[in-house]
Order: sequence, then structure tokens, then C-alpha cells
Amino acid sequence: MVRRGLLVAVVSLLVLSLSAAASAVTLEFQQWWEVELPRGVLREIVDGFTKETGVEIRLLSNPYADTNTQIAAGAATGTMADVVGLDGAWVYDYAKQGAISNLSALMTKGGYDDSQLSDQVRVDGSTYMIPVVNFAYPMYVNLDLLKQAGVTELPKTWSEFKAAAEAVTRKTQAYGWIIPLSTSSPNGIQNQFMSFLWASGGYMLKDGKPNLVGNEKLIKATEFVKSLFDAGVVAPGAYSMTEATMVEEFVNGRVAFMTSSLAHINLIRQNAPNLNFAVMPVPAMDGYDGPRGMVVANWGIGIASNSRYQDEAWKFIEYMMRPEVNARLAEAANAFPGNVLAAPDYSAADPLFRDAYEIFKDSYAINEFTGLPVSEHLMRIFNDYLQLYIEGEIDSAEEMLAFIQAEWEPNFR
Amino acid sequence: MNAKRKWYTKPLLGLGLLLGATFAGFPILWMIANSLKPNSEIFAWPPVWISPNSSLEPYLAVFQDPAKMRFFFNSYLVSTIVVIVTLAISILAAYAFSRFDFPGKMVINALIIAIQAVPPITLLIPYMALVVALRLYNTYTALVLTYLLFTLPYAILMMTGYMNTLPKDLDEAVMIDGGSRFRALWNVLVPTALPGIVAVGMFTFMRAWNEYLFALTLTRTNEMRTVPVGISLLMGQHAYQWNQMLAMSVIGSLPVLLLFLFFQRYFIAGMTAGSVKT
Amino acid sequence: MRDAVAQRQPRFARLGPVLKHGTPYAYLSPTLLLIILLLVVPIFLVIKYSFYDNVIINKNPVWVGLENFRIILRDSRFHTAVRNTLIFVSVSVVGHLVLGLSFALLLNNRVFSARTTGIFRVVYVLPWMFTGAVIAILWQMMLNPNGIVNYLLSVTGLSDAKIAWLSSRKYALGAVTFMNIWAGYPFFMVSILAGLQGISEDLYEAAAIDGANAVQQFFRITIPQLKPILISLLTLDFVWTIFQFDLIWITTGGGPLYATETLSTYIYKQAFSRFQYSQASVAAVLVLIACTVIAIFYARQQVARD
Repeated sequence: MVRRGLLVAVVSLLVLSLSAAASAVTLEFQQWWEVELPRGVLREIVDGFTKETGVEIRLLSNPYADTNTQIAAGAATGTMADVVGLDGAWVYDYAKQGAISNLSALMTKGGYDDSQLSDQVRVDGSTYMIPVVNFAYPMYVNLDLLKQAGVTELPKTWSEFKAAAEAVTRKTQAYGWIIPLSTSSPNGIQNQFMSFLWASGGYMLKDGKPNLVGNEKLIKATEFVKSLFDAGVVAPGAYSMTEATMVEEFVNGRVAFMTSSLAHINLIRQNAPNLNFAVMPVPAMDGYDGPRGMVVANWGIGIASNSRYQDEAWKFIEYMMRPEVNARLAEAANAFPGNVLAAPDYSAADPLFRDAYEIFKDSYAINEFTGLPVSEHLMRIFNDYLQLYIEGEIDSAEEMLAFIQAEWEPNFR
Repeated sequence: MNAKRKWYTKPLLGLGLLLGATFAGFPILWMIANSLKPNSEIFAWPPVWISPNSSLEPYLAVFQDPAKMRFFFNSYLVSTIVVIVTLAISILAAYAFSRFDFPGKMVINALIIAIQAVPPITLLIPYMALVVALRLYNTYTALVLTYLLFTLPYAILMMTGYMNTLPKDLDEAVMIDGGSRFRALWNVLVPTALPGIVAVGMFTFMRAWNEYLFALTLTRTNEMRTVPVGISLLMGQHAYQWNQMLAMSVIGSLPVLLLFLFFQRYFIAGMTAGSVKT
Repeated sequence: MRDAVAQRQPRFARLGPVLKHGTPYAYLSPTLLLIILLLVVPIFLVIKYSFYDNVIINKNPVWVGLENFRIILRDSRFHTAVRNTLIFVSVSVVGHLVLGLSFALLLNNRVFSARTTGIFRVVYVLPWMFTGAVIAILWQMMLNPNGIVNYLLSVTGLSDAKIAWLSSRKYALGAVTFMNIWAGYPFFMVSILAGLQGISEDLYEAAAIDGANAVQQFFRITIPQLKPILISLLTLDFVWTIFQFDLIWITTGGGPLYATETLSTYIYKQAFSRFQYSQASVAAVLVLIACTVIAIFYARQQVARD
């Protein structure tokens, strides 16, 4: 038995090495982007790489919601694709697990100038993910609803915002604001809740550690969100809502304000061609007039440590980050480029997209959840306590934040 | 029971049937209506049944996409093989359970149920590691073998149950006449248990057809993937293709419904009961 | 039946002890082969993980004995998940049984023509045709605050409040249980329908001659005759419903505030959100133990009836 096993192993090794030598290198690129982009765009972009280098790229698509489980399973069984699309929320854990490669090492080896990258996601000082394109989260506003409610000016502060949301809820059939707080994808904490804090120059971390207790701006932001719920201006169904159902409420004119990804502009245009809407900066805390943080979520890229083609994989990332390639991808995705030198041509883009770009340039990109350990779990903890607070089972924002801090901290050790 | 039927039996029965049909069918009608609507109207208030903008476009979008047709092909292929193999293996096993007493019967019986009692989500990674080690990753074989593990316990238990309802005299009569055990099983028990076999086959098909987690994890390329994965690919990061998802589900259910129509004569009252006279 | 048992004895004697024991194993061999080949190792690994610290993430996990069990058993969210699972599973299984049995009996009538019942049969089996994610999406649409269910409630004057079924702690568990009953009863219905065909007409005729009415016939003949099938169905459904995941995960994710947190969503979060595979394995092992007890009861009952 043992001998036969050995024989099989030797033969299969031989076959494997022979086939590797005979065929040209093929890189597998697993991502969820292909289905998000207009048909054929990603294929066309990666074909450019094949033309240059002769390295074939096989695109593997996964449903977005399962990307995480699939990468986890691939990492554990050594079947991860060579190059993987990543979300900043998972990077820390995969890096710690040794599933994704240290890109800093590859950059140094290839003599890459990383000053052109808008951002890098680091773990223990080394880069593990590079954001390829960034999706900004401005606030969408339904102008017709505001008009009906007699709101003439776009709100800039929290109190103006609350007044506008109340007016809409009172005077129209619609609600003022919407937030998706489903437990299955607790991104609402990052994209909608924190947007109020970050727009006011606030932070939830200090030196990379949770700083929730005694954080004045965060306490105010939490109380503000609770006051919106108490005033009844938040669209119902928040606790089981996801971003995909949230946008349908906006499309159907049932909500006046929504913080959401710029990727939604096309969808709203397509599904509701007559909707009169605009984008605006997320309102800031009353009295704050410093620079505003704007939430960005990104499509990141990394390399599997089990890939046999580390160098080729890095060349592919370099290609994807090259100014003209990066610009092309950003245009197609309705996103901002990850390379600061890229100059996307947004002239064909929606005018609202250009407005958003102006807003973006006046703000700084922020997403404090990126690169944190068990990021999604942290959001979920926050989500749970926020719901308890909104439901009145926790008496104060301070108390709520203390609970969250206590549960967050063990994860940062 | 038939001879002196009360006057109210028929209307009452009819009412019951209609109520049940509403319960079962209403959500499906709503699904079909939504699969024809443009995405923007699916969440409209007040809800509309048939919008002037309804069209077959979502269906055409599915049919015109070769990648999606491939999902259907894969699903049919895998599910059909799983049904055939499951039936063959489970009939043999059920025969053993139903007609023999043997040491370890209880243990094996308990084992067959207990193996299903590990949550699939925790089994996922170790199981996938095994599939990779066996060099079956991204193959139809991996899917077929996996689904056999899901369907066999049910198939064996139910088949045993059906065979237990058949009197032992049936097969023993064959053996007394000099026939082999296998002949007794094949010529007498299998034809008599046909309604049960069809029910198990239907179940097996549906289970293989609808499985998602392993279909996704054990395959790598879209060429090997099945309909549930195809549907989930329409649930994007930012938005869902609601109407196409529903259209794909409706299309997927039609052939299965046809199969059910074809086999339903096995569920008609009194069809086979005659052969079971004791 | 007694006679049959008596007749069987001499046959066994003639086959000899080896064949007598060999034959059933031969019939079972394909099943056992598959199980041993594909499931023994993964199940063993899951059990092993539960005694180690931070498996999969950590390349060199450390043996920690029962530490993980201690953590999980003291976790109040695990208690909530167990409680919700028990409610979800028991109500679902009873719902499946009641609906499956009543629909099967309704369809097994001879009052309406074969074609009429045929149409109904197809309609009744419809919920079975769809994958978990689609059922979840469908009901999510219907139970949306602006969905068709609330619309029908307001049109019929039952309730004008736009109830957020899946977001309310009061209704969410009931809503997912209802969805699960809707999606799962056809499995019982078809199985029972098939079982009904195996019941001999003579039994009913004899009972009718004895003056038994329909209700008495149901309890004296139908139920006892279906018993082996019903017990298998209940056992299997119990085990499966514990692991119902897609439906709950897509509609509520276990929320709001753990109102629909079941063992499957709890385990998923432990494994893929916290990356605590060891703790997820502990929960899995506990479920495995509970289910094995049920499996043994089932098997005993199966042996006892012979």
C-alpha cells in the first residue's frame, strides 16, 4: 500500500512538473468585479496584460457575498487563486494567517515606486493589499421630496439635516433618512453610520486602537443617529436591510437622503430615469468647519502565498495600477483610481459623478475599518449595541460605546 | 367511505384544496409577476401585478447568455447522475435494513443519520481539503459524490420505510418459488415500491439541484458551476438583478415540474394499492 | 405477518451462518464505502479542531483540552442560539408534518377527477422547486415594509401599519419559521402521498364494515400504517432544520438583536467573521452529540419494530 502510494505521488509530481514546463504561465485572478463592471470590460483590460507579457489571465468570478468564505476555504486548502480581489475588511486576518503575500517585499524586489499609490493596506508595517479603485460614499438627495417638503437649501449640518428629514417625513409620504443595519452584512456601520462622524473630522481609533469611551464626537454622532430614529424619520425595516434593498427605497422615491456608494448613480438613473436627485457632502456636526472625511470602500488586490508565480502576479498588479490601465478601470467602475497619477476621463460620466468628484477632492478619504483585525466582526458588535441603544435598552451613548469598547479590545491584542 | 359520501364532502374538500393552493401558489405567482417586471417596479408601492412595462426581457437575458445556459446544463447533468446512483445504492441498502437482522444493524442505522449531523459550514474546510487531496477539486465527480452523501441518508431511510410497509410475504413468495433474493427485490419489491422510489428520486433531484454552498466551494470556474451559484452571481456588491434572478429560478423549476407531471401517476390514489392486497 | 416470520426461519438455516451475515453487508457496502471514504476524515478533523486553539488561522495550533467547550457553553449568545434553534426547529417540523399530512390527504381524495387533483398536486409541490437563496429573496420582497403582504393586510383592512416583519424582534423569528414551513412541507407531502399508496385498500374496507368513521379510520389505519415513514421524516427533518442557513442568513442574518440567531448563523459568524474555527467546531460537535442521541433513538426504534 505504502509503496503504491509513493509511486502515485512520484508519478503525479512528474506529470505536474512536466505540464508546468510545457505550458505558458496562466495566472488565476479571483474577484467579484467582473459581474459589477459592464460586460467584457475586465476581460479586455486583462487581455492587455497577456498581449504584453504572454502570461494568460483566467478570471474566476465569485458571488460578492461569499468572497470571504471562498477565500478562507481557499487559503486553508492551498487552492487560492494566484491573484485575489480583496476587501480591506479581511486583509488583517488573511495576512496573519499567512494566506496572502507580503507585497512590500515584492515591491522592493521589483524596484517599484509606491509613492504613486493612493493608499496601501498594511499589517505590522508591511503592505498586503493595494486598493485598485475607490468607491466614495457621498450623500444622495431626492430633490423633489425636498421641494415638496419646502426645504430650499441642502443641509450642511446635523441640525439642518434633522430639520430637513423631519420636514420630509411630516409633509410627504416618504421618510427622511435610511440606514441598512442588517446583521448579515453590517457594513451600514462603516458606510452610513460612521460617515457622520468622519465628515465631522472625528475618529473612532487612536494610534490604531479603539478609542470609543469618552470620544466626544462619536458620542455626539451616536446621539444624533438615535435622535433621528426617535424622531421617526428613518425608513422602517432598518434592522434587516442591506445596501441592495436600501437603494430600491431611494429609487422608488420613498426616502429623501441616503449615504451610498457612487456605484449606485448608474443604477438609479437606469431604474428611475425621472428621479430628480443630486449628491452632496455628508452633513457635519454643528459648528465644525474643518476638512471632511469621506467614506471610501475599495476594490483591493493581493497575491496568494500559495501561488507559484509570485513575480508574474506582482507584474500583473503593477499592470493593473499603471496610470492608464487604472484610469480605464476607474472610468468603467464609476470609481476613483488607486493610482494618484491616473487621470481618468470622466467627461462621458454622469454629471453627478463629476459633482461627487469635486466633493471628493475637497475631502479626505477615510475608512478606519480597513486593515483592522476581524473587521466585519467589529462592525457587527457595533451594530448590535447600536440597535440596543436605539431600542432604548441601553440608556446612554456613553454606556453603549463602553460596551462596544470592552468587546472590541480583546481583538486588538 | 365512497359509498355513502355526505353532501358536504365535496364543497368542503374543494375549499380546503383552494386554500392550500393559495398558500402554496400565491408567493410563486408573485415571483413570476416580478420576474417579468423591470427592476425599478419590483419594490413599488402600491404593488402592481402586471405593469405596462412587463416584458420577457429578463428571460431573454438568461437565455441569451451562454454562461447561464451552462449553469443549467451542469445542474441537469449532476442532478440526474445523483438521482440514478442514489436510487441504486439506496434500494440495496434499504433492502438490507428492511429484510435482514444482522449484527451492527442499529449502529449502521444510527451512523447514517449521525453523519448528517455535522453542520455543513464547519465541514466545509476539512471536506474541501479532502476533495483537493483526492484531486477531485473543480470536477463533476466531486459534486456528485458530495450530493450522494447528502441524499443517501434520506433515500435509505425513506426507502426502508416504504419497504417496511410492504408485507414480507411478497418477496418471500418469490423465494419459495425458487427465485433469488435479488430477483425478489428487483421483480417484486421495486415495482411495488415505485411510488416511494419516485418520491425519493424527486427529493434527490431537488436536493442536488438546489444545493449551493458546496457547489460554489468545490468548483473554481463558472464552466463547472450550477444554477444556484449562477443565481447568486446576480446578487452583486451594490445591487441585485432581481428580475433575472427570479426568471432564472422560474426557468429552472419548469423541467422539474414537467418531470413531476410525468411521474405523478404514481401518486394517484388506488393506482398501486391493488397489488398490496394481503 | 406471524406466518411469514415462521416461514422465514428454515430459509435462513439453509443459507448458513456466513451467508446469513454476509448478504446484508454486501447490500450495504456501497453506502458504507462512500461514508468511510468521504466523511470519516472530515468529521474526525472537526472533532479534533474543537480541542485545539485557533486552528486553520494558526499554522501550529495548541491543544487546549476542553477550554473551547468552556467558552462556548458560557457564551450567552450560544444559549440564545440554542433556544431559538429549538423553537425554530420544533415549530418548523410540526408545521411540515401538519401541512404535509393534511395536503397529502386532501390530494389523495377520489371525490375530484384525476385531472383536477393533478393540477392541485403540481401547485402544492411548487415551493419545493427553488433554491434557498431564491426563497429568501422572494419572502424578503414580500415581507418588505412596502411589500405585498403589508399591502394585502391594508387592503383587507386587517392592519394599516407597515409592519417591518423581518426587522422586528417580535415577528422576525415567526417570519423565518413561517418561510421555512412554506419551503419545506412539500417534502413531507410527497413522501406521505407515496406512503399512502402502499396502504392496502382491504384495511379500510374492513374498518368500514366494522363501522369506523373517517376520523377513526385515520387514527386506526392511516397513521399506524404511515408510522415508519413519518418517523423517518421527522428524524431527518429535525436534523436538517437545525442547519437551515441560507433562509435565515439572507433575510435577517440572525438579527435583529439575536432574535433569529440559530446555531447555523452562530457557527457561521464564529467561523467566517471571527475566524474562530475551533469555537465553531465546538458548537458543531455539541450539535453532533445531540443529533447522535436522536439517531440512536431512531435506530433502536427501527430495530425494535422487527
